Amino acid sequence: MNEQHPDDCGCQEYNELSRRQFITTSAVGASAAFFPAWLPRVVMSKAFASDRDIIVSVFMRGGADGLSLVAPFADANYYTSRSTIAIPRPDSTAATKGLNLDGFFMFPQAMTGGAAGTGGLMPAYQLQDLLIVHATGQLNNSRSHFDAQRYMEVGKPVDPTLVTGWLGRHLASIPPLKPDAPLRALGVSNGLQKTLVGAPKTLPISDPTNYSIGGSATTQTQRLGFMQSDYAASEEPLHSAALDATNTVTLLKTVNFAGYKTANNAVYPNSSFGRALRSVAVLIKSDVGIEAAQVDIGGWDTHSGQDPLAGSMFRTMQDFSNSLGAFYADVIAMGYNVTVVAVSEFGRNVRENGSAGTDHGRGTVMFAMGKGINGGRVIMKNWPGLARENLESGQDLKVTIDYRDILAEIVQRRLGNPNLGFVFPSWTPTTFGVTR
Amino acid sequence: MATTSPSTPTSPAGSDASTNAERPSRRSFVFLGALAATALLPKAGNAQGKTRKRPVAEPVDSEFPTVRQNESVAAFSEWETTLGRLVRRASYGATAAEVAKANQLGFQGYINYQLNYSRIDDSAVETAVAQRWPLMSQTSDALFSADAGTVRTQLQESTIYRAAFSQRQLYQRMVEFWSDHFNQDIDKVGYLLVADQRDVIRKHALGKFPDLLKASAHSASMMVYLDQNASRNKAPNQNYAREIMELHTLGVDGGYTQDDVAELSRVLTGWTVQGRGQFVFNPLIHDIGAKTVMGVTIPAATSQSADGINEGEKMLDFLVNHPNTMRFISTKMLKWLLTPNPTETQITAIMSVYKATGGDIKAMVRAILNDAWLAAAPMKLKRPFHFLASSLRSTAPTIVSMATFNSQLNNLGQPLFGWDTPDGYPDKVEYWAGNIVPRWNYATVVSALNSQTTAAVDTTAYRAGSPDAAVDLIDQNFFGGEMPLVTRNALLTYIKAGTFNDTRVREAIGLAISANAFQWY
Repeated sequence: MNEQHPDDCGCQEYNELSRRQFITTSAVGASAAFFPAWLPRVVMSKAFASDRDIIVSVFMRGGADGLSLVAPFADANYYTSRSTIAIPRPDSTAATKGLNLDGFFMFPQAMTGGAAGTGGLMPAYQLQDLLIVHATGQLNNSRSHFDAQRYMEVGKPVDPTLVTGWLGRHLASIPPLKPDAPLRALGVSNGLQKTLVGAPKTLPISDPTNYSIGGSATTQTQRLGFMQSDYAASEEPLHSAALDATNTVTLLKTVNFAGYKTANNAVYPNSSFGRALRSVAVLIKSDVGIEAAQVDIGGWDTHSGQDPLAGSMFRTMQDFSNSLGAFYADVIAMGYNVTVVAVSEFGRNVRENGSAGTDHGRGTVMFAMGKGINGGRVIMKNWPGLARENLESGQDLKVTIDYRDILAEIVQRRLGNPNLGFVFPSWTPTTFGVTR
Repeated sequence: MATTSPSTPTSPAGSDASTNAERPSRRSFVFLGALAATALLPKAGNAQGKTRKRPVAEPVDSEFPTVRQNESVAAFSEWETTLGRLVRRASYGATAAEVAKANQLGFQGYINYQLNYSRIDDSAVETAVAQRWPLMSQTSDALFSADAGTVRTQLQESTIYRAAFSQRQLYQRMVEFWSDHFNQDIDKVGYLLVADQRDVIRKHALGKFPDLLKASAHSASMMVYLDQNASRNKAPNQNYAREIMELHTLGVDGGYTQDDVAELSRVLTGWTVQGRGQFVFNPLIHDIGAKTVMGVTIPAATSQSADGINEGEKMLDFLVNHPNTMRFISTKMLKWLLTPNPTETQITAIMSVYKATGGDIKAMVRAILNDAWLAAAPMKLKRPFHFLASSLRSTAPTIVSMATFNSQLNNLGQPLFGWDTPDGYPDKVEYWAGNIVPRWNYATVVSALNSQTTAAVDTTAYRAGSPDAAVDLIDQNFFGGEMPLVTRNALLTYIKAGTFNDTRVREAIGLAISANAFQWY
């Protein structure tokens, strides 16, 4: 960037690009369908803060029950609504009691590494690097996983013309952290998650530790060489993708995943989520130019036998919090400029159903974590309450904060991207003081 | 950031573009620099120097110039014959046998042969399907009790098997097309999809579009997928009413309004599912009030009766005869079979075939796959399913189990019947291009297959002669005899750089499947 702009003064200066320039320069593989003409113009930074954060975006797929993840023990209706699946109050004598966060909310032990509260996400919360947002979600009231995930990832509800994801548009509207990075972002997935669609130099890589063309190690370099020359005259966008891919295969071969030693004795669970975060940690520390990763964790669709104290919800929460807790100790606590966000498409009914589970609801929690996050708090816009008359459709925690308000502040203040109208079209975000 | 210089947009047409009277002078197109550059590169081996017409994109009326992907993507210069182009478009892979068949029948003969698919003896494949995947012939009533995972696996594996090995190749290509057009997510509809695939998609894939649309509208699986079974007079669900117009007939710009969606949803109340997967019209939940959909008025009924279904049938007739449906279907078929950017001339021509034949899909396919249009058509990127089926046709493994291939399709990013939204898997190169390493990895896996219990690729024939002969055979089996010269030379170099044995030959086969030219058709 700098070499091409002799007028670059090194100050925070922005260059308004026409759509034509933007599409020409930013995203190979971009198309009109990806960035429809009604999107605002992009202001592309000419000189950018190299200390802007890397973002790790987590999607909790299936509709995560915010009332178990961060339970409002001080709302009496919580206990009357959930006779078998509530988490005991922190001041109770139950062995499975929750751990007090702020006098109103508590973590279940699944979120804190056990009764002592020294593991999971508790350290990040206590060191004020973990922010919890409650009664949040999306304003679009779909209770279909299918629609709700899609619109949350796209970042604009009910618009079939928009197929790119909010994180994809973020990356498409900001210069790369490392100009020559072969890979700017990855989705730890077999296919690129919608969140990342539209991002340049971004590949779905389901297992970064084994991103290879397979076969004999002896001939692998030679075969990769065949690919590089065979695709040299390929048509776009396959040409660039193949080039990015061969470079990424080569790049990832230089990254020592197997011999990686975590910092602070952090231990990632041997789950797909834990392994994914570990790989992302290795990539971040390898300084190869990764600036975003999308990681998914499933298991939240708890229609029956939810049991947040010992059952399926317990195990899912434990995996979630132990993996992110390890990532916190391993990466964030070491001072790396990284922000983590975690969202889910919706929460679940306040009242448990006939099979000790919960059906699809509305409001839930989301998390933001990082040294630049103003954490150690549970924020919300007036607790809507769990009394029946305060519930949406008489059954669900209301959504009081649009998840885009939280993400927009992070995009602007931690990721250094002023193009909020492009990342979250038709949305004027409210600031909640998410960042320091 | 490759460049930020605001240079004059490069013309997509290049220097050898055909003239296009529809091209307005004031509009310009923007191209990715690299795209324009590679499109203009002379291809290796283009000794004949033939000029090919390149399609010129339609202008996009927009404040901003926009990128049209692929619009000037040519084809390999080795792809000289229109017969070869026809075979690539009409099949899952131009194998030596398919090319020989086409050569024997000639251009028109091969089209006729493929279109009259019911006359093609496909008993070998159908017998195999019946033996290996017996659930595929069962009714929804019976499938209700079957293990859901087994139903899914059988549907997926049999679909791959048929695409790869059926002699009715063009028919299979159209089955894939309509499966996306009427896409359903098996996670939501489960075993119901078996009957939909069999009795809707496969029954009408080369029939008449109106019959296909109506069969889909009477499919229990579709009713469940788009929540039509949750719709009732007191609370109509608009999901199916919207999608049947937006995705199945008129297209998103097909001239209907939100009011039309709401009104059509009222018309369709009562279209639902009973028992274990039987479509039924239930008059008791049908809205008998007066409705108006796109100017069509439906008077109020005096009582709820079985005749209420006729309101919906009337609207289906209206939809399949609407010019915007003719345009939408014609355009989409052109994109599937010919080019990502069909011209207005092409669209109008196929619309008129639709109109004249009552939406006869065979007639439309025949009109699209004509000699002149094929000669000028840019190549298209194989989607993972197509790519995998191609590899099966070319490697012709002995198959005991399809499990490897089915699971590999997940890695490749296209698990069958796993696309959750009703729009179906995209047919866009920019969507698929990123996932190339899994293709290369798959190529390694499939070329190495040598198991008596799962699948085995036999390399004997490739090792029978010289390295040159091996590459010739690869050319015939994988590229229909039209392998690009650069690939041929590189493969030969690769084989000669090591010991000419089974391992080396398998690696060369893996490279052939990995090669650029194998990704396109």
